[in-house]
Amino acid sequence: MPSRTIAPELQYADLAQQGDTAQLGMWVFITTETLFFGALLFTYFLYRNAYPHQFALAARDAVLWCGSVNIGLIMTSSLTMVLAINAAADGRRRALANWLLATAFLGVCFLAVKGFEYYLDYGDHVVPAVNFIAKPGEAPAGELFWVFYFVATGLHAIHLTIGVGLVLYILLWRVRRGEITSVYYAPLEVVGLYWSFVDTVWLFLFPAIYLVGRS
Amino acid sequence: MSSVAVELPPNYANEEHTIGSWLLTRDHKRIALLFFASITVFFFVGGFAATLMRLHLATPQGLLQPSVYNRMFTMHGVVMVWFFLIPSIPTTLGNFFIPMMIGAHDLAFPRINLASWYVFNLSGLVLLYALVMGGVDTGWTFYTPFSTLYSNSYVFAAAMAVFINGFSSIMTGLNFVVTIHRLRAPGMTWVRLPLFVWGIYSVSLVMLTATPVLAMDTVLLAVERFIGVGLFDPRRGGDPLLWQHMFWFYSHPAVYIMILPAMGVVSELIACYARRPIFGYAGMTIAMMSIAILSFFVWAHHMFVAGISIYSAVVFSLMTYFVAVPSAIKVFNWTVSLHKGRIIFDAPMIYALGFVLLFTIGGLTGLMLATLAIDVDVHATYFVIAHFHYIMVGATVSAFFGGLHYWWPKMTGRFYPEMWARFAAILTFVGFNLTFFPQFILGYLGMPRRSYTYPPEWQAWNVLSSAGASILAVAYLLPLFYLGWSLVWGRRAGPNPWGATGLEWTTSSPPPKENFERTPVVKLGPYSYDPERGSYITQDGVRHA
Amino acid sequence: MKRAAGRDPALLFVVAWLVLVLLTGISIWTAFLGLGVFAPAVQFGIAATQAAILFILFMRLKGPPSLKWVFAGSGFFWLLFLYGLSFTDYATRQGWPHR
Repeated sequence: MPSRTIAPELQYADLAQQGDTAQLGMWVFITTETLFFGALLFTYFLYRNAYPHQFALAARDAVLWCGSVNIGLIMTSSLTMVLAINAAADGRRRALANWLLATAFLGVCFLAVKGFEYYLDYGDHVVPAVNFIAKPGEAPAGELFWVFYFVATGLHAIHLTIGVGLVLYILLWRVRRGEITSVYYAPLEVVGLYWSFVDTVWLFLFPAIYLVGRS
Repeated sequence: MSSVAVELPPNYANEEHTIGSWLLTRDHKRIALLFFASITVFFFVGGFAATLMRLHLATPQGLLQPSVYNRMFTMHGVVMVWFFLIPSIPTTLGNFFIPMMIGAHDLAFPRINLASWYVFNLSGLVLLYALVMGGVDTGWTFYTPFSTLYSNSYVFAAAMAVFINGFSSIMTGLNFVVTIHRLRAPGMTWVRLPLFVWGIYSVSLVMLTATPVLAMDTVLLAVERFIGVGLFDPRRGGDPLLWQHMFWFYSHPAVYIMILPAMGVVSELIACYARRPIFGYAGMTIAMMSIAILSFFVWAHHMFVAGISIYSAVVFSLMTYFVAVPSAIKVFNWTVSLHKGRIIFDAPMIYALGFVLLFTIGGLTGLMLATLAIDVDVHATYFVIAHFHYIMVGATVSAFFGGLHYWWPKMTGRFYPEMWARFAAILTFVGFNLTFFPQFILGYLGMPRRSYTYPPEWQAWNVLSSAGASILAVAYLLPLFYLGWSLVWGRRAGPNPWGATGLEWTTSSPPPKENFERTPVVKLGPYSYDPERGSYITQDGVRHA
Repeated sequence: MKRAAGRDPALLFVVAWLVLVLLTGISIWTAFLGLGVFAPAVQFGIAATQAAILFILFMRLKGPPSLKWVFAGSGFFWLLFLYGLSFTDYATRQGWPHR
């Protein structure tokens, strides 16, 4: 595989400045995403606080094993991502490709489990407005829990899908063309930051969805 | 003044001529012009709605069906807020001049800059779809439960348009913040930045932190509207005020998104046309950053009579008083900056002076609205409308036009015709006051906003307002003609026709694609004007007599 | 595995990952303990700790305070405004929650 000399863009003095600026850009973007999901969690906390009993009743139907498997998968994918970056810094291209592939694979597994969980949710009649039967004592706010569930996990899944796309882009486009080298691997670091952030979102969604009303 | 068409030397605008070189450009200056085209279109769309409204309101019986009138004020608000005011100065003057003012060759992320323009236009298309299919009648604020449960209009499409538009804002803000942090030229320390850069920096912080909350709010609105759940429906456990809390958490800072860049522009104009440094540079920068932060603490002053608790209302009223303080400091500093200056009454200065006066009136009436006892009477009346138009139109649009004229020779290499520009600026001031001052009176008398009719005894004030609007329309149309004329027949302008001190004036007019032949080295702060001697020093250290 | 230039050793990340898994396990366990109103505080506290591990180690915030710290933290900080000031309404409004 060829290795190309990468030149910094016109507005940058050197590659180091370009790479550092790209990472700062991703951090700024992560700030906006924190506020985006944080606003959603705001509505969650508001309604959970207002209707604790109804939320607890509704949340019992959340499929804990799916959520737990998924948190395991996504935390592991953060590990594989960071090992990929280590490999890039070392110039170990084969390892880089393998770790990236593992990351993408774990992401896809997450989505598969999520999809299966949605199928189970449908069978449990917890899909608001589409297929929803309120359990006794749960109405009306129990449905709000499930609205939050689908909006939150749906948005998270969209972000994760984009992340898988980015990982594959790095792997199949940038790495293949030799544009990720031990001298300059900032695009990979930027995707890594995004990936770990998507992991972080799930870390907060997990207790919000799966650990309510279990005792 | 020459009226012979003159060819310009190679520059960013004429280097390449293909459509592809414009539509796929990475040059921040070309992207600024692309944005300029888009926002101008939307300005006239929103202006068209306003025209119909003022024609309708000239008589109590009006011209339009009530449901059509409702769609007009909604369209006017949505288009003017998200498709004109919020993007205007940042994406046009900001895009063009931030890299040049800090001595950079481009923004940090040129492709994201271009993408921002495409996303902006995409959101415009979605909104256009909603308008063409029959419009929205909820008001630009989309209050629930009317918007979610009862409105028979294209709420979902409009909400989606706003959602997509937000991404454009975020991309622009992200680019500016990172650029200003990382791409300043050697010697360009934070305290040497022109105040316009501080204005764009502070506004970008607001864009980044406020917009995501609106994004989530519109997602929830869309979910409720489209799927039929009860997030904002009290019968199903929801709270209609939740929409308002999250909406105004964004939309109040949004109005500061509209004013902060304008404040930055005005500082540049006053310094240049009074030939004096701006008084109190540190105070001005601290004020802008304070406004940016404090703007997040006041949102529920839009909700005083919506049903929030009285204790909450007191807190937000107090916070609103605080946010007025840095704005007032800026007005004092601009005024003092004029003292012992050599004032040149060119069009940009007329716009800037108009800004200061109209912003002061808008700001003072804002304090009146912040007072709970007054707001109970004038909430949702024309008093509020007059207040925010004094700031958004009287101030922001004046600053936009002022900046446009000031930087016109730099962007185009041409002078605009000064007499016409001065006339338009004065006409703007006259037309604006005639349009909106009567609305303070109408609001005080009790005329509610968003109402297609009114009692006949208020017609005189409404007629005055509509008459003023016709003058304002002429004042806003005039620049379209003489600026367009100047592109072909305007007198050729040199690098620094006004004798200003910023780095953007050290390069040719129009600038080359890479902005500077060599990266400049900054030696001094931004406003080294000496009014007594009539000399000035540009930021690269070169003294001019 | 040899240490990459400017990067932490892989072992550190593996250990951190184990800690993350352990914390998740603890969090799930607390759900069945009957902690009542303290349960969310404990569980979200654990989530915040896990997020801190991710941010500081995996996302490389460790080291001297930098501009990235400011942006990493400011999202959470800004949320305090939304949560806190809204609280002045929701905690004191007569008609909330709707019954």
